[in-house]
Amino acid sequence: MKIVGVTACPTGIAHTYMAQAGLEKECKKRGFTVKIETQGSMGSENELSEQEIREADVVILAVDITIEGQDRFDNKLVLEVNVGKAVTHPEQVIDQAIKLVESNK
Amino acid sequence: MKNFFKDVRKHLLSGVSYMMPMVVAGGVILAISLLSAESTSKGMVPHGEIMQFLNTLGKAGLGMMIPVFAAYIAYSIAGRPGLAPGFLLGFVANNSVIISSREVKTGFLGALVLGLAVGYFVKWMKGIKVSTTIRSIMPILIIPIASVLVIGLAYYFLIGIPISYLMNGITTLMGNLQGGSKYLFAAVIGIFGELDFGGPVTKSVSMFTLALINEGNYFPNGLFRITVAVPPIGILISTIIAKNKYTQEERNDAKAAGILGFFGITEGAIPFAVKDWKTVMPSSIIGCIAGSIIGAIGNVTVPVPHGGLIVLPVVGNKLWFVVAIISGSMVTALMLKLLKKDVVQEELLVEDQKIN
Repeated sequence: MKIVGVTACPTGIAHTYMAQAGLEKECKKRGFTVKIETQGSMGSENELSEQEIREADVVILAVDITIEGQDRFDNKLVLEVNVGKAVTHPEQVIDQAIKLVESNK
Repeated sequence: MKNFFKDVRKHLLSGVSYMMPMVVAGGVILAISLLSAESTSKGMVPHGEIMQFLNTLGKAGLGMMIPVFAAYIAYSIAGRPGLAPGFLLGFVANNSVIISSREVKTGFLGALVLGLAVGYFVKWMKGIKVSTTIRSIMPILIIPIASVLVIGLAYYFLIGIPISYLMNGITTLMGNLQGGSKYLFAAVIGIFGELDFGGPVTKSVSMFTLALINEGNYFPNGLFRITVAVPPIGILISTIIAKNKYTQEERNDAKAAGILGFFGITEGAIPFAVKDWKTVMPSSIIGCIAGSIIGAIGNVTVPVPHGGLIVLPVVGNKLWFVVAIISGSMVTALMLKLLKKDVVQEELLVEDQKIN
């Protein structure tokens, strides 16, 4: 399973990065390839490349605000959740993402 | 409908996130310029030319915050074409205009409504099917002019006066807080300020106190900015005074949380709240109420939208601010000591083995 995602919270200093860490940790635990872009108060960091997005099975957006470059994911399977969910229950978010992928096979 | 409100919330938070740095820069520089100011009948007058210049810089930041807020709400809804009309209407909301020979200034609330209105209007306009010749002049000519005229006139004829009444009502109410109602208000800020440790509820409280900063009332923000630091610092203290209630890993996490709390970031408390919300949440709320009420006794004011001890240089009634944060944190720590169960011995053993 290949997962990419974007995290973004209003202040862009804490939640954004905690959500990134949560998702990455959970994916690594399950042996998934993962890359999470953060759109915090420093702008976009760890940016997703076109190829990474193309190869991903599913896109997780853990966002409370409107993000830059949403159109990159127009033709992808997208799971959108609140930032808080990815901070407190990343395992549930990944479960949801897997379910989404399986129901679209 | 639920989705619509969820979207609106997202757009408002986007506006706030772009506005934040503007207010921080403006607020801090303004506060610096007033450090050596003389109090005169015309209000605070900065001392010397350079301070006067800093004063201008700071006021520019605060003056820009409202237009930026409106613009990026509209941007979040409609994309790029929303920006210009959002800036323009936000600027109007933040300045006095005459409507039916009454002076109307709607500030933060007006910018919020106008930003949403013009955002959705522009989004609707973008969807209109037009011939290719007109299509090319839509974004450069038709959308900016039509959206500003339509929403601007709606402001004049319909929504301007009611919003200004509402805004004046809130401002007057907040300005006249005294005695019992003042402490009740402080308690409410304490309850909701960090209810979800920096999540949506916190951000709503933050928007409310920001709106009042724009009206020149720094007191509600002062109380809120005390509560920001209380939960994480409280947790840090509790790991020191009640070591047996935490695992080694938690004690390390608490140090990081405490440092975050010092910098006015509550989120460090989240991992603790997630693991054991039944004890962490009530402890945090009671500590926040205590801190907020002590802040109210000392009339603490904070002119910038950030909290924790890091903003101390610009705080009004500094000593009370520090006392409020420390006492609130102590209350949280003692509550935690009281409520939390000891860590089960086995877990400790396993950890000891790991360490060895």
